[in-house]
Amino acid sequence: MAKIEIKSEITGTVWQVKAQPGDRVEAGDALVVIESMKMEIPVLTEDGGTVLEIRVKEKDPVAEGQVVAVIEG
Amino acid sequence: MAFEALLAEYEARRAKALAGGGAEKYAKRKAAGMWNARERIAYLTDEGSFIESGLFGSSGVYPEQADETPTDGKLAGFAKINGRDICLVVNDFTVKGASTSATNSKKIAHMKRTATERGMPLVLIGESTGARLPDAMGSRGMGLLLGNDNTQFRRTREIPMAAAAFGPSFGSSTWLMCQSDFAVMQKGATMAVSSPRLVSMALGEKVDAEDLGGWRLHAEITGLADQVVDREEEALDAIKKFLSYLPSHHMEAPPDAPVPAGSGAEMDKVFDLLPESRTQVYDMKRIIRCIVDKDTLFEMKPRFGKSAVTALARLGGKSVGIVANNPLHRGGALDADACRKIVDFLVLCDSFNVPIVMLVDTPGFQIGTEAEKAGAPGKIMNFMNAVTLLTVPRLSVIVRKSYGRAYVCMGGGRHSDEVAAWPTAEVSFMSPEFATRIVHGVGPGEPGFEQAFADICKDSDVWGLAAVYAAQAVIRPHETRDYLIRMLDVYRLRITKGVGQHLMRTWPTSY
Repeated sequence: MAKIEIKSEITGTVWQVKAQPGDRVEAGDALVVIESMKMEIPVLTEDGGTVLEIRVKEKDPVAEGQVVAVIEG
Repeated sequence: MAFEALLAEYEARRAKALAGGGAEKYAKRKAAGMWNARERIAYLTDEGSFIESGLFGSSGVYPEQADETPTDGKLAGFAKINGRDICLVVNDFTVKGASTSATNSKKIAHMKRTATERGMPLVLIGESTGARLPDAMGSRGMGLLLGNDNTQFRRTREIPMAAAAFGPSFGSSTWLMCQSDFAVMQKGATMAVSSPRLVSMALGEKVDAEDLGGWRLHAEITGLADQVVDREEEALDAIKKFLSYLPSHHMEAPPDAPVPAGSGAEMDKVFDLLPESRTQVYDMKRIIRCIVDKDTLFEMKPRFGKSAVTALARLGGKSVGIVANNPLHRGGALDADACRKIVDFLVLCDSFNVPIVMLVDTPGFQIGTEAEKAGAPGKIMNFMNAVTLLTVPRLSVIVRKSYGRAYVCMGGGRHSDEVAAWPTAEVSFMSPEFATRIVHGVGPGEPGFEQAFADICKDSDVWGLAAVYAAQAVIRPHETRDYLIRMLDVYRLRITKGVGQHLMRTWPTSY
């Protein structure tokens, strides 16, 4: 089991937080949705696992490459 | 018989060579779940087709090491994959870590030369410690072993090259992965310029192999691995599948394949995959899977530059290269990595006569400080240049957004043989939200915004593009597959029997 950092691909603002610590997630699930370029862009996990941390809340500004969540998978 | 002793010696030498690094090392690998080199060849190639070249080779630098260097650690030869001839080099890690030295370098060179001159793909199965020491040490070692073949790392793409990395794959295995048209890595393999041990000694940097050159680094950050797999057989299957889309050499068209039953069966649902709201994203791969022949999608670099999809596939049994934007990532905005990935793929397709199909839904190139730091303008111009150098048939379908310079790079105007658009297509210099603010000076919530925004959206719809013949067709989405199959036939290269001009054949293999 490894800790995997989930990073936002894009600069924007957190529009929705879709997962909470303790949640079980599958590859391809959206953990957070970022509003950027007038679009709703999900931050997806490439790996299945358990959410350890969600590091952002709604309306937070997010930079490209910023870690928004950590999962153990 | 006069020759009994000689034949006995032959059999003994042969058995010794076939035993590689010996039973003990083989047993250890087996216990660790790893195949040895000959097992890899047996799985990769058609049964009984492998003819070895250089079975009796051994150290060319130290004759006294003959006993401990059977085959000199790299197996070479000729074989068939699905009935088609290939040349291959498979490293035998049990012999001095498959390190590179004089005799095995000659084997690699001979395989590459023969593959190139006779038109066969070259397959390279890596697992190696790097250069053999002390063979390459000192000025004498360097002069003897390095740089004496100036075609060793010349890529002019006459033939497809496919490589796999298993376990530690330093030195030549890393170089050849980077030089290949397809590079597959097993999880747990390492590709790097030097080992963690040398990094630790030279830099004092403590780093484990996974961080230095593991699969995640090469799949997600460097893009040097085209695919990553869990098991060895998946890597070898991937090589077989990759080669099935390509011709054996650049002077022939790719082979056709039967059209699988059920291909196109989902086309009536393809429009449902597009969200009604233009602010929502979707996975373009689902649309691609509907359109191409069933189960033929073979994606390259799926974890790298993810706002673009590059994949080999078949349409009506013929090989095509799919280049698409994927709104699921970055809304489809193309960053520097996505540009690199697309150019890499365009070079592959054009070099081996594979027609290109572009599926477009992009708000444009990624903007912002991170994009600029990554050298986006340079990568965008490489992309632009590559698109102008394509000589294979190329079709473009605008699914939804196509804005700015990305409109041109994704095949707009005369950068495709034919541009088709779905009725949902919207084309302009920039997205209407921002254009409204810049052109009319009003933002959301301000007086006049709604009307100005509506006008700009209307100006961006598909009919303007069709009116000036910049889209040659507006098609019903469910007709996309049939349209593409028909148009690929219309635009096939009749005069040259499917062979393009390969203007990018010397393009670097990574940049």
